Amino acid sequence: MPRCLSALATALALAAASCGVQAASVGVFVSDPSGKPLHGAVVMLEPATGKLPVAPLAGVRIAQVKRQFAPQVSVVTVGTPVSFPNDDTVRHHVYSFSPVKTFELKLYAGVPNTPVVFDKPGIAVLGCNIHDQMVAWVVVVDTPHFARSAASGRARIEGVPAGNYQLRVWHPGLAEGSPPTSSAVSVGSADLELRAALDIVGPGR
Amino acid sequence: MSARGRWWQRSIGGRIIVLFLGLLLAVQVASFMALRASLAEHAHRVLPEKLRAGERLLQNLLDRRAQTLLHGARLLAADYGFREAVSSNDAETIVSVLANHGARIGATEVALLATDFSLRATTTSEARHLIPLAERLATQSAASGQASVITLRAGRPYQAVLVPVRAPLVVGWVLMDFPLDGQLLADMQRLAALDLTLVARASAAEPWAVSLSSLDGTRAASLASQPWLDDSDEAAMSTVAARGEELGVRMRTLSVGGEADGGGVRALVSLSVDEAVRLPRDLQLALIGITLLGIVVFALGSVVTARRVTTPLRGLADAAERLGRGDYRTPMLGLQRHDEIGELSQSFERMRINIAGNQAQILKLAYWDSLTGLPNRARFREAVNEAIAEAAPSGSVAIVMLDLNRFKHVNDVLGYRIGDLLLVQVAERLNRQLVREGDLVARLSGDEFGVLLRAGDPELALSVARRIEQSFHAPLALEEHNVDMGAAIGIACWPQHADDGDALLNRAEVAMYAAKSRHSGPLMYDPSVDVASAQMLTLITELRQAVEHDELRLYLQPKLALESGLVAGAEALVRWQHPQRGLVPPAEFIPFAEQSGFIHALTLWVFEEAARQWRQLSDEGIELVLSVNLSTRDLLDQELPQKFEAVLARRRVPARGFCLEITESAMMDDPQRALVTLDRLSAIGFKLSIDDFGTGYSSLAYLKRLPVDELKIDQSFVRNMQTDADDAVIVRSTIDLAHNLGITVVAEGVENVQVWNMLRELQCDMAQGFYMGRPMPVDEFLEWSAAAAALRVTRAGDSAVLH
Repeated sequence: MPRCLSALATALALAAASCGVQAASVGVFVSDPSGKPLHGAVVMLEPATGKLPVAPLAGVRIAQVKRQFAPQVSVVTVGTPVSFPNDDTVRHHVYSFSPVKTFELKLYAGVPNTPVVFDKPGIAVLGCNIHDQMVAWVVVVDTPHFARSAASGRARIEGVPAGNYQLRVWHPGLAEGSPPTSSAVSVGSADLELRAALDIVGPGR
Repeated sequence: MSARGRWWQRSIGGRIIVLFLGLLLAVQVASFMALRASLAEHAHRVLPEKLRAGERLLQNLLDRRAQTLLHGARLLAADYGFREAVSSNDAETIVSVLANHGARIGATEVALLATDFSLRATTTSEARHLIPLAERLATQSAASGQASVITLRAGRPYQAVLVPVRAPLVVGWVLMDFPLDGQLLADMQRLAALDLTLVARASAAEPWAVSLSSLDGTRAASLASQPWLDDSDEAAMSTVAARGEELGVRMRTLSVGGEADGGGVRALVSLSVDEAVRLPRDLQLALIGITLLGIVVFALGSVVTARRVTTPLRGLADAAERLGRGDYRTPMLGLQRHDEIGELSQSFERMRINIAGNQAQILKLAYWDSLTGLPNRARFREAVNEAIAEAAPSGSVAIVMLDLNRFKHVNDVLGYRIGDLLLVQVAERLNRQLVREGDLVARLSGDEFGVLLRAGDPELALSVARRIEQSFHAPLALEEHNVDMGAAIGIACWPQHADDGDALLNRAEVAMYAAKSRHSGPLMYDPSVDVASAQMLTLITELRQAVEHDELRLYLQPKLALESGLVAGAEALVRWQHPQRGLVPPAEFIPFAEQSGFIHALTLWVFEEAARQWRQLSDEGIELVLSVNLSTRDLLDQELPQKFEAVLARRRVPARGFCLEITESAMMDDPQRALVTLDRLSAIGFKLSIDDFGTGYSSLAYLKRLPVDELKIDQSFVRNMQTDADDAVIVRSTIDLAHNLGITVVAEGVENVQVWNMLRELQCDMAQGFYMGRPMPVDEFLEWSAAAAALRVTRAGDSAVLH
C-alpha cells in the first residue's frame, strides 16, 4: 500500500521553506483516497532530526461507558498517565498486548488506583477481556506538534517553528497494525496547507 | 367345467356360500389393494417431502456442529492466555494451548494462522493440506468474520471452522477441523429415521466412494454408484435400486471441494421406499384377523341363509315328488312364511289342490260312467284284476256280464232320453241284487253291464245271475211307458275259465253272446261257445270239411195242418254226421256258426239242399212247403235274396215252395236292414214266418209292416198252455190277432194230444212237435209221411194223430 503525500503538498511545503524562523501554522486536510474528508485522524509533525522536548499531559481519561471506550482514540504525549474510570455497572478487564505499552487492569469497577503511564511513543491497542467489541487506541506521540482532524477533515497545528519535519498521519481506519504515514515537509515562516490521503480499509472505531 | 358342474353349482346352498365368501374375499382383497395403493400413493407423496425435511435436518445438524465447533474455536481464540501468547509470539505456549483446546472438543487438527492466513502454528505435522483449506476459509470469513466448510482429507470428510483471534483487533486465526462421524448418522436416524450416506471423490475422474453410511456396506456402495438427481431440483426424489431394495434419495452437495474439478463431498439422504409402502405388520395381522373372522362369520351366516332357503326348497321338491307319485293328500310345508318361499309353497299348495281336484275329475271320467254313476269298463277291469290279485292263489272270482236285449230298439222307438232312463233304472236294479260288500256293478258299454263277485264261485255266480234275470221280469216304468226288458247273461269264473282278468272278461262276454244268440237264460262260459277257444277253432275247420266232405245231413220235421191232420209242410233242419263223433247236435255247432259267420254257408247249404229235396218231392208228386231258418246275420246279408234266387233258378223250384223263418230277435238287431231284406225276399215270392213269436218285443205296429205270412208261437207258451191259463190266453190271443191280420199261425212244441186238441179248438192253423214227428232224415220223413197219409185216410176225422 503506497504511502505518499501528494505532489501538491510537497510543492506547498517547498514554498514555505523560504520564510524566517518564526513559527507558522500548518493545516492538513486528511481524506480517503476518493477525497472524502476523514474525521478523527491523528496528524503530527516530528522533527526530521533531533528531538523536541515534550511534556506529559495531565488528566487524560479513557472511560468505559456503555461497554465502549470513550474516547476510542486518544493522543497523548510520551509519559502521560492515563486513568481508566469504569462508568459502567459491569466490570471491565482492560488490557493491551501492544509493545508500546503492555498492561492489564484486571476486573475492576470504578477508577483504578493507579493510572497507566504511556512512556513510549507508538500506538497501543486497548481491549477488554470481557467485552470483545470494546477497542481503543492510544497514540503516544514524542512531539508537541500534533492535532486531530475535524469532521471537515481539517487539522491545524499552530506555532510550528520553521524547519524540516516528518508529517505523520494515522487513522484507525488504516489496516490493523499499520504505522502512521510519514512524509517530509519543510515548515517556513508562512503557513502551510497540506493534504494527506490515507488508504482507509475500515471505518475505524 | 365338467358336464355335471362343480359341487357348488349343484346346490343353491353351495352357491350362496361360495358367493358370500367370494364377495367377502373380493371386498377384503379390494380393501387390501386400496390400502396398499393408498399407502404407496401416500408414501410417494410424502417421501420426497420427508427426504427434503431430512436434507434440511442434515443441514441443520451440520450447522449445529459447526456452531459447536465455532464455539469451541472461539473459546480458544478468546482465551486471554492464548491471546497473550499469540501477542507475545510464544510459539511453544501457543501449540500447547491449541492441543489442549483441540482435545477438549475433539478436534482433529488445530492451527493458528497469521492475519495473512499464513501458518503460524499447528498441532499436527501434516499441515500442508491446511493451506488450501485456510485459503478457502479465508475467502468465506472475509464476509462474516468466521467460516465453516466441509472438506475432504484422505478420503474422509471433515468439518472445518475458522475464527479470528482478537487482541482486541484481529491478530490471527484459529483453524479447527473435526471428522464427520457416526454421531451424525445416528442423529439422522434418531431424529428423522433416515439413512445418511456421505460419498466423496477427489476429482471428477474418480468414482464416488462411500465415506460414511448408515446403510450396510453393499447397499451403500450400490447407492454410491447410482446417478442421483441434481440437488437443485427442490421437489425431486431419485429412486434407485440398491441390492434389490428401492431407495428414495436426495442428494446435497456439502462441498464442491477446494480441489475443484468435480471433486467434493456429497450427502445422500435415503430411505427405503419398500419399507414405507409396506403395510405395518400389526395392520397386516389385523387385516388377516378381520378376514379370517369375516370368513367364519360369513360362512356361518351363509350356511344359515342357505339352510333357510334350501330346506324349504328341498321340502317343496319332496312335495313335488309326492305329487308326481300321485299323493295329493299331504299339504305343503312353509305355508305360514311370508317370503318368496312362502309364495312358492302357496303356489304349490294351490297346484296340489287343483291337481287333486283334476285328478279326481279325471278318475271320475276315466273310471265312472256319468249317466248311471256306475264304474265304467276300465274301472271294472281294474277291479277284476284287483279281485283276482286278492283272491290268488286259492280263492276265486266270478263275473256276470249282461247285455240288454233290444235296447237299440227302445232307443229308436222311445228316444234316447227314455233309453238313458232305462239304463239308469237297470243300473239301480242291478245294484239292488248285490248284497255283499265288495261286489261291484259296472256299465261296460252302451247296454252292457258287468257284475263283479269277489270270492265268487260258479255256484254263487249262477245264483246271482238268476236273481238278476228274475229282476228283469218286472217291467221298467219309464215315465208313461212300461217296458219289458230282458238281458243275455254270461258268467265266467276265475280260475276255472281264465288265467287273468282280461281273459275272464272276455270269457264272460263270450258266454253272454252265446246266451244272447241262444236266447237262453244265464250261461256259464264253456269252451264250446267260444269261437276263440281251441275247441271252436278245431270246430270251424271241421265244419268247413263237413261241407266239403258232405257230412251235413238235411232233416225234416213235419208241420201238420190242425184242421185236416195232413202234412202241410216241413221245417228243414241241419244235422252233422261227424265221422268220429257221430251225429253232432245242432246246439253244438249252430251257435258257433252264427258267431263265426259260418252261418251264411250253412244257411245256403240248407236252402240248396231243401230246394233239391223239394224238387225231388215235387217230382214224386209231393207238394210241401219247406221252412228254412234264417239267422240274424243272414238277414243283414244284402246278397242273400240274389243267392236264393240263383238256387231257385238252378234247382228249378218256385219260391212259393219255401217258407223262410226269422226269429223276432233276429229282426230287432237292425230292423231297417232286416226289413229291406225281408221285402225283397217276399217280392221274390218266399213265404215269411216269424219264429219263436212271443219271446221278443215285436209291436203290433211293427208286425203289421212286415211282409209276414206266418207266425210260429213259441213252444214255451204252447208247451204250458195245457196247465197255464195265461199261456193259453196268450196262444189264443196270438191266434186271433194273426188271423185278424190274415196271417197263418203255427204252434211249436206240441207234445201231446191234449195240446193238439186245444189248438184245434183255437183254430190254430198248423202244429209242429214231437207229438207228430221229430226232425228226421228225408228218407225217413218220406216213409213217415206216407204212413201218416195212410193213417189219416183210415182214421179220417179222428182227432188222434200219428206218433
